[in-house]
Amino acid sequence: MLLKEVGYYRPETVEDAVEMLRSNARARVLAGGQSLLNVMKHRIASPEVLVDLGGIPKLSYVASEDDGVTEIGAMTTYDDLDNSDDLRRAHPIVAEVAGSLVDQQVRNRGTIGGNLCYSDPTSNLPPLMVVLDATMVVLGPGGERRVSAEDFFQGAYNPDLGPGGLLSAIRLPVRQPGAGYGYVSLRVSAHGWGIVHAAAAVVLEDGAVADARIALGCVADRPVRASSMEDALRGGSPTPEAVRDAAEGVGEGLDPVSDAHASGSHRRRMAKVMARRAVVQAVERARS
Amino acid sequence: METRELEVVTHMPIELSVNGESYEETVDARGLLVFFLRDRLGLKGTNHGCDTGNCGACTVVWNGKLVKSCMVLAIQTHNTEILTVEGLAPSDEELHPIQQAFKEHHGLQCGYCTPGMLLAAKYLLDRNPSPSEEEIRRGIKGNICRCTGYENIVTAIQAV
Repeated sequence: MLLKEVGYYRPETVEDAVEMLRSNARARVLAGGQSLLNVMKHRIASPEVLVDLGGIPKLSYVASEDDGVTEIGAMTTYDDLDNSDDLRRAHPIVAEVAGSLVDQQVRNRGTIGGNLCYSDPTSNLPPLMVVLDATMVVLGPGGERRVSAEDFFQGAYNPDLGPGGLLSAIRLPVRQPGAGYGYVSLRVSAHGWGIVHAAAAVVLEDGAVADARIALGCVADRPVRASSMEDALRGGSPTPEAVRDAAEGVGEGLDPVSDAHASGSHRRRMAKVMARRAVVQAVERARS
Repeated sequence: METRELEVVTHMPIELSVNGESYEETVDARGLLVFFLRDRLGLKGTNHGCDTGNCGACTVVWNGKLVKSCMVLAIQTHNTEILTVEGLAPSDEELHPIQQAFKEHHGLQCGYCTPGMLLAAKYLLDRNPSPSEEEIRRGIKGNICRCTGYENIVTAIQAV
């Protein structure tokens, strides 16, 4: 398919990229292009200018800081995440999920920043960023802003970038002692479209749950915390029965969309199952 | 060149290397790499399949990375290197070892997926010379074949 006519701008600095985005409201960031180019082929989006961040090498990195925080440049590809020793040490769940996405070709181009800014409700990384309590570093005309993952996703395809803003990095907090993470997806096929995603972070202290964060994907216009399950888990011993009981109310009050892959009610029922499995996985890892 | 830096372009001359040969062409900003390779450079080995990044028929190696050329703009390839299926065989008389293995093990039927499949196999084998069956299937996951059921493709890659 032929794209609509578009301008192309390849800045060498983040400042130039921000300036272009500020001066033209119809300019749009081109990261890895694995979603945006398809969207443009179908004319769902027709930006006036593509701001290709591919010429800014400083946006692709995984850096472990002295205080244990891991900072990931927004243009870091899924394949780079999958193969980052630093990330495998600090937050292996991110490398693991990135390495499970789509296929080798897309992992070589698709970027963490592009994925998060696309804010597709079926994406894998947004719920994971929410349970990790990641911070988004947004650069805009007014300077740098930091937004929690939970606030960043404001709805389908609607990230909190502000006018002229771009996501430059993602900061993952230090992994707490006793923490374990789980990520489980019901997918159309292996590595295929998501039907329901569940991400879980569980912190154990003396065998009991000191803290739990659970987020679901594909069931609303943005990642949704399973707060009732988190509350039910806190303070107790995470036996398989306790986790199952805690998951009981998950999905209630949600009204997921129906599509060719799954009905909304199926998604709602599966949300409970996936949340339970993700927590079980997180508990296992917290113990090991 | 410096005047171009802060300037939005709708077309631009690009220089790139494809299969070791240098090319200089002016491209539209909206043009996809797959059509540039096929229609401008006449390299029709790269097939155009689904056009949505699903089938992998248009797979090429760009600056050492396996990519789908329907998901890249030609204008992005300025000053870069591309390998297409035409660049695999050492000569007109001789096949690349992966091509030879596909031939011997019947790793193709209609052949439409084969250019992408060969490059996906090369990318995998360059990084992992003796992959397991599971690793091979993961490596070619982005390349859809509707004829073979993948069995002979996996066998061919294992035999290289």
